Amino acid sequence: MKTLKEMITEARQVVPEEGPADLQRRLRAREPVTVIDVRDPDEYRDGHIEGATNISRGFLEFRVGSVAADPETPIVLYCQTGLRSVLAGKALKELGYKNVINLQGGYQKWAQSGLPTVREAPLTTDQIQRYSRHFLLPQVGEKGQHRLLRGKVLLIGAGGLGSPTALYLAAAGVGTLGLMDGDTVDITNLQRQVLHTTADIGKPKVESGARTLKALNPDVNVVALPTRITADNVMDVIKDYDLVVDGSDNFETRYLVNDACYLAGKTNVHGSIFQFEGMATVFAPNEGPCYRCLYPTPPPAGLVPS
Amino acid sequence: MQATEAIKVLVGVGEPLIGRLLTYDALGMRFREVKLRRDPNCPLCGASPTIKDLAIHADGRGDACAATPDGDGQPARAATARAGG
Repeated sequence: MKTLKEMITEARQVVPEEGPADLQRRLRAREPVTVIDVRDPDEYRDGHIEGATNISRGFLEFRVGSVAADPETPIVLYCQTGLRSVLAGKALKELGYKNVINLQGGYQKWAQSGLPTVREAPLTTDQIQRYSRHFLLPQVGEKGQHRLLRGKVLLIGAGGLGSPTALYLAAAGVGTLGLMDGDTVDITNLQRQVLHTTADIGKPKVESGARTLKALNPDVNVVALPTRITADNVMDVIKDYDLVVDGSDNFETRYLVNDACYLAGKTNVHGSIFQFEGMATVFAPNEGPCYRCLYPTPPPAGLVPS
Repeated sequence: MQATEAIKVLVGVGEPLIGRLLTYDALGMRFREVKLRRDPNCPLCGASPTIKDLAIHADGRGDACAATPDGDGQPARAATARAGG
């Protein structure tokens, strides 16, 4: 009979190790890598590496296929100290995964190195029910829901584009929604700006918007910013958010949002609409083009949706 | 559509519309996709940017939209792509 020590030695021969700094570099560089936390769910909840999927050791062979479809993509496994995960790594090698790496020293060493960790408050019973349809989607699941709940999105404009976007983001459980708009509700808005009701005419759009969103989902922290976005306030506002949704209705604001997002390194989910035509794209700094690459100068009136 | 894209980026799944412009024509009920490329001469994100802060957006400056490397008012790339394809 083999001793545990022999089993671990054997596993180490087939599963290479990398330290926390190597994994951090892979994650920073956005290399394709699947990180699996093989500890028990309570250990995972107490603190884990952001982006790691929790599949306890006992379920690993059953569930690994749902997060790692390609046998060539590197998989980094970790447990608390690196022992359970090296044995888990050997099992994955036997399943045919070519590039399995064990995180040397496990979560403990990662955390002691001062690298970032995330801790998730357990979902309440209400939240488990509210988001149960998300849990059925393997791409979202509980992990994705926690990311949404931690997410902070700034909506520029609470009008025709901002209204439906804000409603869907609130319903999905995005934890913080900043709503920025200096306008008040006008009766002519109501045929499309579904955040506002007839009783809201004359009120600031962010006020009626915040009320609608809170009523839809009390989990959401709505930050009402009843002011127009300007060069003076934009940098200070966007710094608190992960992502900006541009639902503005004029070119000046779009160039401003574009420039500010690029300079602050924030992704800008852009949309525009004119009569029956709409367009959407995502500007991610240094990953793709920006609004100025698309429109070096404002297009002539009527050529593109405004 | 913007909500879906925001959710995808937050959750980290799927392929967001980075480098792609999706257009929607409600009357014809047609969607079209146009590939977008980074402009190496972009005054903001190009190789030698001229926009390094938000000064061009300061009050009283009407030229914030028109910042091109050489100010020649060239036609918008996507508009060209749409007309041609």
